[in-house]
Amino acid sequence: MAQANGNPARSADGGRTARPRRSVAVADHLIAAVPALWLAVFFLLPLAFTFVFSFGHSLFGGVELGFTLDNYRLALSGFYGATFLRTLRFAVTASALCLAVAFPAALFIARLSGRRKNVALLLILIPYFSSFLIRIMALTMLMARGGVVEWLLNGVGLHAGPLDLLDTQTAVFIGMVYAYLPIAIIPLVVVLDRIPRALVEASRDLGASRWRTFRHVTLPLTRPGIATAALLTAVPMLGELVIPRLLGGGRGLLMGQAISSQYLQSQNYPLGSAMAVLVLVAVGVLVAALARMTKGFVEVPR
Amino acid sequence: MTSMLNRRQTLGLFGAASGAALLGHVPRAFAAGGLNIYSWPNYFSSESLAAYRKKTGVTPAISTYDSDDTLFAKLNSPAGAGFDIVVPSSSWIEQLAAKGLLEELDHGRLDFGSLDPDLLDRDYDRGNKYSIPKDWGLLGVIYDPEGVGTEIRTWEDFFKAGEKPGVSGKVRLSDSGWETIGPALWLDGKDWNAAGEADIRKAGERLKSFARNVKSFTALDANAAANGSIVLAQCNQGTARAAIGLNPKLKWVVPGPTSELWVDNYAIAKGAPNLDQAYDFLSYQLRPEVQVSETEYIGFPAAIKGLRGKLGTDVKNVDLIFGGEGVDFSKLTSFVVNPKTIGIYLQVQSEIQAAAG
Repeated sequence: MAQANGNPARSADGGRTARPRRSVAVADHLIAAVPALWLAVFFLLPLAFTFVFSFGHSLFGGVELGFTLDNYRLALSGFYGATFLRTLRFAVTASALCLAVAFPAALFIARLSGRRKNVALLLILIPYFSSFLIRIMALTMLMARGGVVEWLLNGVGLHAGPLDLLDTQTAVFIGMVYAYLPIAIIPLVVVLDRIPRALVEASRDLGASRWRTFRHVTLPLTRPGIATAALLTAVPMLGELVIPRLLGGGRGLLMGQAISSQYLQSQNYPLGSAMAVLVLVAVGVLVAALARMTKGFVEVPR
Repeated sequence: MTSMLNRRQTLGLFGAASGAALLGHVPRAFAAGGLNIYSWPNYFSSESLAAYRKKTGVTPAISTYDSDDTLFAKLNSPAGAGFDIVVPSSSWIEQLAAKGLLEELDHGRLDFGSLDPDLLDRDYDRGNKYSIPKDWGLLGVIYDPEGVGTEIRTWEDFFKAGEKPGVSGKVRLSDSGWETIGPALWLDGKDWNAAGEADIRKAGERLKSFARNVKSFTALDANAAANGSIVLAQCNQGTARAAIGLNPKLKWVVPGPTSELWVDNYAIAKGAPNLDQAYDFLSYQLRPEVQVSETEYIGFPAAIKGLRGKLGTDVKNVDLIFGGEGVDFSKLTSFVVNPKTIGIYLQVQSEIQAAAG
């Protein structure tokens, strides 16, 4: 979000094209209409259904429209309320872990020279060419008993005997960080890359240590990247249901699983919808908080 | 069903990426004069499908789902139009029929006489008005007698063994509410199809306190049972057979006082566009040689009478295909989804899984 606006130079000299401004605007609108229509039909419409359903009464495999807040009451109370909080905690923790791992990697990549930087980014993105599920299934093979991780840890003497890593929380977080790392690294690299070298040099010239320079110059300037990375990882993590299932043995319930089981197994669309709306609200709050964090970054100083 | 679901879910997950592509094929399949099957993935022997194509010139178009609830949701929506044959499990037949999503079968056009009477006229579909048994499985327990230290005969033994040090933390339970809570209900002398909310919740409490011993609620990987990362697990006989194939020390038992029989069934979708072709295909499927081929392909027993004697002698651990020797079908019970209680089963199951977290 931030870096989309972070390059005012390009839109400012948009007059480079010879065509008159007006026809450009019409063409732009036409081009924008396609995705807008797409989103309206396939995103906003289902969303509207979800919203309306969430106030209805459940029939098995159907909905009786009406207005009741019972679904929300149920979704927020007792067990499902606890699940909602656990999910928030889970997403925030996993996202923070992911960013903690991504930041040093991004810093390293941003400092590489042009060609090497592209190669590094390519290497980060290559796993994305294979199916998400295949990658997670591959992780289960690595972490299973008698797998490569066990062999490796035994080999270097960090662990003795069989390793029961699979079906634990640790395995889930390893999987989460692994799966979401690239989408945390990319926005960080983009922002770090834009920080003028001169600012860092000036800070050093003025006697700041490396650490102080990082804390007071680099880190504050990276805020939009951090916000974007946090957003891009935490939002899908709120709905994650495959990784906790495949790597965590399905212990401890998260919202993603709870919603899908309400929709499918229980055929209780209203309750599932209410839960989905709550997750959406949580996402909204998250976006608002992160937007606030990047305030003042609409124009990145060059 | 759910121990079966698990096996399929894994397959389903693997196939999900390509599954998207499969879904894309559905509209093409809806041409008249063909045959549209909506089924579990990998649930028809490729050999018998090829033979059917050769015989009739019709290539059945198969699209897949990975759970009965997905099947229900799809047939219950406009996207469910155009299917001829579906393969629901015993638990969902009643609900599908009640919603008017299944066609009543014309028994005159099918040879029910060749089928195992143990699998006919069961309480999920009296008189087989809507369903023809396709294959079946059992809920049982696989365990490592050395690791567990005792013999398991009943569900009481199962719960006691799971709490022992060395076993605790290496237990696998089903992810289906009725398969985890069911055993506790049976120990209370209750019928899982008649149990009310209070009964289910009470049985659920036992499971919630047992949950701390549980390592996994997901598909039992035969390797995990064979290599000792799981030493005590609920599963179906198919997974048990795979695990025992890898580690012959393991034992399989269908615990008392009772356990689950699930049956997957052929059924005809309401308004099937190719009704005649559907009956033709079903008659073909019920032929003895096709039933044998299906059994060897999917690893679960088809429903024909005397199937055991028809299987090749090269099939390993053949008794286990049938859940071991001397399974008494009259003692087994099949779950029937009831809109009044299914939500409670699932809610309690969620609580059990959360308690294990």
